[in-house]
Amino acid sequence: MIVPRSLKIDSAHAAVRIEGVAKAYRRGASSTAVLDQVSLSIDRGECAFLVGPSGSGKTTLLSILGCILTADRGTVRIFGQETTAMNPARRAALRLAEIGFVFQRFHLIRGLSASANVAVPLALRGVAPKVARRRAVELLEEVGLGDKIDAHPNNLSAGQCQRVALARALAGEPRLILADEPTASLDAANGADVMALLQKLAKKDGRTVIVVTHDARIFSFADRIFRVDSGRATEDASPYDQCSLAKAG
Amino acid sequence: MWSIALRTLIADRGKLLTALVGVIFSVVLVNVQGGLFFGLIRKASLLVEHGEADVWVGHRNMHNVDFPRDVPRRWIHRVRAVPGVRRAEAYLVGFADMTLPSGGFEGVVVVGVDRASLLGGAWNVAQGRPEDVLENDAIVLDECENEKLEYPRIGDVRELNHRRARVVAKTNGVMGFLVAPYVFTTYERAGQYLRMPPDRSSYFLVQLEPGADAEAVCADIRRQIPELDAFPKREYGWISVSFWMTRTGLGISFGAATLLGLLVGMIMVAQTLYALVLDRLGEFGTLKAMGARERHVYTILLVQASIMALAGSIAGLALVSGIQRFYSTPQAPIVVPWWLSAGSCLLVLVICLVSSLLPYQRVRKLDPMMVLQS
Ligand SMILES: Nc1ncnc2c1ncn2[C@@H]1O[C@H](COP(=O)(O)OP(=O)(O)OP(=O)(O)O)[C@@H](O)[C@H]1O
Ligand SMILES: [Mg+2]
Repeated sequence: MIVPRSLKIDSAHAAVRIEGVAKAYRRGASSTAVLDQVSLSIDRGECAFLVGPSGSGKTTLLSILGCILTADRGTVRIFGQETTAMNPARRAALRLAEIGFVFQRFHLIRGLSASANVAVPLALRGVAPKVARRRAVELLEEVGLGDKIDAHPNNLSAGQCQRVALARALAGEPRLILADEPTASLDAANGADVMALLQKLAKKDGRTVIVVTHDARIFSFADRIFRVDSGRATEDASPYDQCSLAKAG
Repeated sequence: MWSIALRTLIADRGKLLTALVGVIFSVVLVNVQGGLFFGLIRKASLLVEHGEADVWVGHRNMHNVDFPRDVPRRWIHRVRAVPGVRRAEAYLVGFADMTLPSGGFEGVVVVGVDRASLLGGAWNVAQGRPEDVLENDAIVLDECENEKLEYPRIGDVRELNHRRARVVAKTNGVMGFLVAPYVFTTYERAGQYLRMPPDRSSYFLVQLEPGADAEAVCADIRRQIPELDAFPKREYGWISVSFWMTRTGLGISFGAATLLGLLVGMIMVAQTLYALVLDRLGEFGTLKAMGARERHVYTILLVQASIMALAGSIAGLALVSGIQRFYSTPQAPIVVPWWLSAGSCLLVLVICLVSSLLPYQRVRKLDPMMVLQS
């Protein structure tokens, strides 16, 4: 089989490449089709946004990219690995090795201090506790929480919590960071701070970032914007228009 | 994983405490209940345990130290002739009535010991001296039986089967399985109290030559005097104990109560562990979303269950030793064998680990997608 040269180069550079992905939620006999024909490709080091109306399937798409859900149809390649056919254990291993998650509601573990939370992905990988803690402290310093290392999530503000979550997502040095509405629980200033941090820390090491958001105020951080609607994803021609629009608004 | 498990467990103090109470409850119940049982049942072999004889010789098929059948005393010479026997002394055990000052009477177990050696005589003597039993009409009673015997003092005179008896010494804590108090006296006087012909004996208490094998000597005695039975001390103690166990269902009733308590405690632990997990489903979902594997999740649950079991066991055993110190009496001794403590802790650990399987099933079914949708 002859592979077109352009595609080859493309797949070598692509962090994420999906084609013809469809997904429907089945509950008993009824089935809700959410994604129908989604194809997109995001290069390494890029910061891509998924935007669209509520219920359009952004979270569903992000979950498929994050190997949490599997597509009903189509191909999903994460750093060149086809994930649709993987068993759950393989997908979990891939998540642990390659993907860092940031959630809207932070999902920190209540019983653990900030540094222990950040160290969780390292603990899951079997890193020695001392080493993990040292790395966690470094990361917390990088996100500006050097003075909150032993604080518990209950005693942290929303913005601080999201920064801990950000440090946690980075802890395992994943090549891909997925964030679902990372700023939705934060006020404008905190949201912009967290987004700036995410972009800075990810760009520094060439990580790929995919962010689902409604928040037009942070569109300026995007290299590319994909609009998810009616089961498809289409790329906005020039995200910078969006950003200037957002700024104007 | 260890530190995640430990810290999240400690963070939920209320639940941890509930589980600990469950474990402590179980451990204390098993040990105290078991301790009371062993304390009670051990009384059945009290004379054997404290009798200082290596081997007990008595009527064929003897089955309880307190209920002997008499044998001719002259056979003692045949016992003494058996190789390995250093000394053999006659010993009498039998029932008599003691007349009380109020006009009532109380059934007692009269124990008659050899005058010269006092082998199998009173121990734990708290008032008077053991050898005072050699005085005229002397008997030795126990302080703990004061109430039953209407507070006899040293020098007080009572009647045993209408014969004069004088209290010369008192022991402390010599209480048998039967409700009848032990009364120690000399062999000859015991024969009179019990109205036994002087040529009868209940047992021959045997002490062995150094290095002699008790089993072998017993076999020899049985072979040479087929009308007699002979058992090493431990074995006859056990025979006396099993007499009550098999004939009264005592073991079953104690055991059933203990098991029930264990069950209640363990249900508390299982329920707490489950509630703990239900409370933290979201966190387990987060772990799974981040790529935690089944074994990670199970390690956390196992570690938490083990911590509960371990901490609860230690606290429980501490409580048991406290209870033992303050509530163990000669009437109701709490005797906790080491294997009961160890066994109960092991059992608690196993049950805790098994009961962590239930919440594990719940977590296993968890879809990490939930984290993104909430
Ligand atoms: N587990 C599920 N079972 C059935 N339907 C589901 C399930 N999860 C999502 N859906 C439906 O699929 C559609 C897409 O959901 P999804 O969460 O991907 O949308 P979204 O774009 O992230 O929306 P929002 O912006 O509100 O977060 C919605 O209509 C939703 O009701
Ligand atoms: Mg969503």
